[in-house]
Amino acid sequence: MTDNTNNRRSWMIVSAHDAAALARCADIKPDVVVLDLEYTVPPKAKAAAREGLTAVIQKLADSQVEVFVRIDRDTRWADVRAAVTRGIRGIVFPGADSTDEVAEVGELITAIERERGVEPGATELVLMLESARGFWNADAIAKASPRVTALGVGRIDLTMRLGPVPQNEFRLYRFLMTRALLVARMLGKQPLGALWRPDSRGGVASKESTAKAAREARLMGFTGCVCAAPEQVAAVNEGFAQ
Amino acid sequence: MNTMTMQDKSATQDQVLAADKPMPKTIRRSVLALSIDDAQLGDKAYASFADAIILDFVKEADRDWQTDLKTRMPAAIYAAGRGGAEVFVRVASGSAAAELDAVVFGGIAGIVLTGVTAATDITVAAHCLDTLEVSRGMARGSLEIDVEVDTAGGVWHALDIARASKRFGAFYINELVLCRSLGMQTTATLAFDPLEYIKSQLITVAVSVGGQALGMSYPLSLTGANVDEDTVKKAVRIARDTGFKGAVCAHASWIKHCNAGFCPSPEEAAYYVKVIEVFAEGLKRGMASVPIDGNMIDVPVDLRAKLYLKWANRVKARDEAKAAAHR
Repeated sequence: MTDNTNNRRSWMIVSAHDAAALARCADIKPDVVVLDLEYTVPPKAKAAAREGLTAVIQKLADSQVEVFVRIDRDTRWADVRAAVTRGIRGIVFPGADSTDEVAEVGELITAIERERGVEPGATELVLMLESARGFWNADAIAKASPRVTALGVGRIDLTMRLGPVPQNEFRLYRFLMTRALLVARMLGKQPLGALWRPDSRGGVASKESTAKAAREARLMGFTGCVCAAPEQVAAVNEGFAQ
Repeated sequence: MNTMTMQDKSATQDQVLAADKPMPKTIRRSVLALSIDDAQLGDKAYASFADAIILDFVKEADRDWQTDLKTRMPAAIYAAGRGGAEVFVRVASGSAAAELDAVVFGGIAGIVLTGVTAATDITVAAHCLDTLEVSRGMARGSLEIDVEVDTAGGVWHALDIARASKRFGAFYINELVLCRSLGMQTTATLAFDPLEYIKSQLITVAVSVGGQALGMSYPLSLTGANVDEDTVKKAVRIARDTGFKGAVCAHASWIKHCNAGFCPSPEEAAYYVKVIEVFAEGLKRGMASVPIDGNMIDVPVDLRAKLYLKWANRVKARDEAKAAAHR
């Protein structure tokens, strides 16, 4: 039996530049805080978010929470440089769809670890699959760096890229979840994803709809997922509880 | 411009029929697993009317299990095949060479390999069979390799696995073990089949190399419950409509329903005969399509009827062979 034990059920996205949101993390108690440098940070605030990242990471790390940083694929080099420091557990790489870019990010992390005295190899890499190419090459991508510890199913970008954003259930989603699960289990990575439906999307999700999305994902073999809104954390933790 | 004549089309149909796809190359609607340690092995196999029997064995750690198996296996194979079933032996890919040496004897149709994660597992087993067929006086290339799909790697690499050897015959989906391997819950609590896409992939891959996939529909596939006849019949129908050509039966009571359900029914066969006859008459009158009971019969419908009728006739022949073994 594959071991489903994990302490990383809820991966809560928090804007890296939003001081108020960061301050609430301690109360919300997600298993993982994902400091975001991607969509939730306005372009004008990105530089400031990067500059302030080390201080935020230190503060959160002191509170024993696991901290990851979600980088922006388009600006990954600068984002990784800003993120890799003592105190973070890893990088969330959204939209990775080639082995080259995963290997490159892995090597960049290695160089920065060395430069900053971070334990070599300690920084994990979590890949969020968000494209058809990414899903098709999932096994090769996940093997492109030994740092990869989790494989997730993206959501907004995925629905955008693979078709019109559905008004109802995105029926391709279960097929994509199956592919991600297979690769994650085959390679011993944590599978991340939830069976999101229209009523469980971040902005409109209820506690019940979120818990259902997480519970169904757990039954399908997933062990955690990204939370777009802090209100989803408790429900996700409940849904993924064994 | 399409200048194909009716005769040309007929020739094309014959070629398709000759290729026999997508019909199963072997009629294997029902498969029953039995232990060689079962004192009633022969009686159970004989009474089951299963199309195939899979023999399981236990490797006793405190004994010379290879010598022990070599001594017992020929009799077990004979007993399992007495009722006309094809006989297979289930072998773990991790120790395939040693196990195959102990279990491959005349009378088996092939092996069912478990724990397969990559194509190399098949090539290793195929190489062993090449040698054993020669050393044990069996026809070269005669033994089939079927794969019990029970790992994530087995699913992900399914196409490479199926293409790894001409011996490949079928995928058997061991849903319980596969679910455990994928970290899925093994209770059927989801409203949908969590393995739906995996099943679709395995069926498609198997047929693409001329093989077949065996499996049951959800949730019976997962629970393996001993349920009432109607439930089994419905589950078999769904499994057949999904593309499975048979199933490993968790209970002997499933067998007759699998035998009846994983093939065209007598009513379907009678309808296909009518379709073929009426369409042939239509062709003679220069028509490209003819109506039957409100349905339009044209070339693809006629072709399907011929394929399905051929399938039904092979099933009939298989049942007659098993009946002969019981006389």
